[in-house]
Amino acid sequence: MTTTAAPPTRMRRISEALKRNRGRAAIVAALAFIFLSGLFTMDAGDWMITVLRGLAVGAITFLVASGLSLIFGLMDVLNLAHGELFMLGAYVGWTVYVRPDTFIDISLPIAIAVAVVFFCWPLVAPFAARLSLSLVWTRVVAVVAAVAGGVIAVWAFGRFPLSIWNLEQFDQTPTADSIALQQGIQTVPPTASWDGSPLVAIVGLLVGVALVVVAFALVRYRDAAAPPFGIRRLVPAFVAAAIAVALLLFGNSLTDFLYEISTTYRFFLALIVALIGGFALGAMIETSLIRPLYDRPIYQLMITLGLGFIIIEVVREVWGRPEFAMPKPALFNGTGEGCPGQGISGLFSGCSTIEILDTRVRMYNEVFIISVGVAVLVIISLLIKRTRMGMIIRAGVQDREMVEALGVNVRQVFTLVFALGVGLAAFGGVVAGPALGLSPEMGSRVLLLALIAMAVGGLTSFPGAAAGAVLVGLLQQFVIKAGSTGIPVPWSDIPFKPSPSLVPVSVIMLMIVVLLVVPEGLFGREE
Amino acid sequence: MSLLSVRSVNTFIEQYHILEGVDLEVGEGEIVALLGRNGAGKTTTLKTILGLTPPRSGVVEFAGRTLRGMRPFEIAALGIGYVPEHRAIFRDLTVEENLRIAERSKGDYARRKDLILSLFPDLGRLIDLPGTKLSGGQQQMLAVGRALVPDNQLLLIDEPSEGLAPILIQQMMEAIRELSADTTVLLVEQNFIVASRLASSFVIIEEGRSVHHGAMADLVHDDETIRRYLGAA
Repeated sequence: MTTTAAPPTRMRRISEALKRNRGRAAIVAALAFIFLSGLFTMDAGDWMITVLRGLAVGAITFLVASGLSLIFGLMDVLNLAHGELFMLGAYVGWTVYVRPDTFIDISLPIAIAVAVVFFCWPLVAPFAARLSLSLVWTRVVAVVAAVAGGVIAVWAFGRFPLSIWNLEQFDQTPTADSIALQQGIQTVPPTASWDGSPLVAIVGLLVGVALVVVAFALVRYRDAAAPPFGIRRLVPAFVAAAIAVALLLFGNSLTDFLYEISTTYRFFLALIVALIGGFALGAMIETSLIRPLYDRPIYQLMITLGLGFIIIEVVREVWGRPEFAMPKPALFNGTGEGCPGQGISGLFSGCSTIEILDTRVRMYNEVFIISVGVAVLVIISLLIKRTRMGMIIRAGVQDREMVEALGVNVRQVFTLVFALGVGLAAFGGVVAGPALGLSPEMGSRVLLLALIAMAVGGLTSFPGAAAGAVLVGLLQQFVIKAGSTGIPVPWSDIPFKPSPSLVPVSVIMLMIVVLLVVPEGLFGREE
Repeated sequence: MSLLSVRSVNTFIEQYHILEGVDLEVGEGEIVALLGRNGAGKTTTLKTILGLTPPRSGVVEFAGRTLRGMRPFEIAALGIGYVPEHRAIFRDLTVEENLRIAERSKGDYARRKDLILSLFPDLGRLIDLPGTKLSGGQQQMLAVGRALVPDNQLLLIDEPSEGLAPILIQQMMEAIRELSADTTVLLVEQNFIVASRLASSFVIIEEGRSVHHGAMADLVHDDETIRRYLGAA
């Protein structure tokens, strides 16, 4: 690269880059001014806590925006249900965390159903492919099998034991469970029993799910070749079956065990369950709802919107409408002797708060959430930069057709990315739960922030989603803080105090300004 | 027996009838030039073979297999490399990643690296640069190199000389001639001089139909046909 005449000096290169990115530089400078000017109107401790809170909001927004941006960038699908999947993740996480008995009980029929699906699909597919029914008959048989199987499965599902909260009686509601855990009262709820014979319920579930699988296989392989049968394709079925048997035999002792261990372990279990459950749910949503509609993007948008509403109603029905808290895990909730921790060394004191610059920083809300955000950012960046899948994602964002023409199964990568995005959102919901509390509406608020973060950072850019989330979070928290400290106005003795309703407005203003000055977003690419 | 055979293929893009009966045969080891004016359907023919714009009727056979109902990645995996019009280099990938992404099995890139770099020595010193930083000629070399990473039996090359300086066209022609020693090539080329020097036979497409085919040696002397279908040569 030394062939060109005189290499431009470093100063020239910097000034040229600045000239090209005038708009970006102006916006970053303006935001930096806003954030730094806070140092003159508030003391250092207040400023620091505002920055930390902004970063925490940014981290949660990022967990939603990252998946949203990967999905949108790669497959042009704007998943409007992403906020609701975040919310659903929070509720599922809460269940694992506060009511492990419910979680264990519900896992048994799910494990059985998963085992049946993975067992039947590879077995049925070759027969479905060889069966030469007419299109009409295939559909009739499939619909009958699916409806009959669905009814049997639901009926059988209801006969499994399920120890669950009761929304009608206050002392048995999720709210009461949360308060009990908060106060350290841990009572294992009474074990539920089978409704009738366990054998009938289990066989019913097996038959019902198998019928549904047959219905789907008939439609899927009517006109296509089935993949060859191999014993390795049954491995997931055996894993799920082993889990089901273990739950059947040791379910109750597992419940007791989960109630005994520290809430910290249970919380991490909740995070893992949300991540895996979200991943599986995401894969199911992509293959069943999104994939048939790649030629009709507007329908995709509407189907995700509708899915979001359905999730909200399901959550209201199952967990109830009222907002409730999620207790913080013990690791971040220490009190008493030696608390709050002092300074940086206090990070490892196990206290719920530490004192830095005479200001109390909450271990969970600020320190833990920001660390999770940074860790996820690093892991996903490495995934995108270093792995083959990341390479395919980066290439696919630009030109899917070419990637496919190279012999890459792009659809499979779509499913993986969608699943990963949903997994991250559900994971984010559990992370946010103890800080924000749980409500069926928490998803739409986060989705709005995430969409704005994406627009600010550049819709299809992953680093853009991260930067946008941080900027949105910081701006929001600084405007909230200014509501109490006030912004001095020149030639006036009365400082300007933004009212709470100006908080969302300020974030939207940021988006408008960015889009007017750099329409492609801060990290976007001009098309 | 021919490696690729396309018989009375009809392709629609949305409601537009783009290919209205294309027939062509590409024999093993040959270079066949697909000629015709702008908009005649040459690029669509390549895309139809790959399944990117699947045919509505007609047959595409490759290596004795009918490609009906197969997805593009499955067709490509049978051993077809594609060098599209305008190169389609991935901007966010380095030159090396642009080559690596074409691997169909692990180690493809390592195995073919020397061959690709001997055809296009320029790529060697650019290997860590992002795709954005390449000139048009370098991008074209990378696009051809990318199609050489896996073991392809057939290369579909669309307009390799487009927008290149004469000296680069020369280099590109030599590279194609060299790689055709063990690969069959179906070449779309506007530049008749380039096409006539590389290909041994030709197919002319006019308004979505294959109207003429034969040996390149005959076409070169057939001023009438050249004027009629290709404009002034």
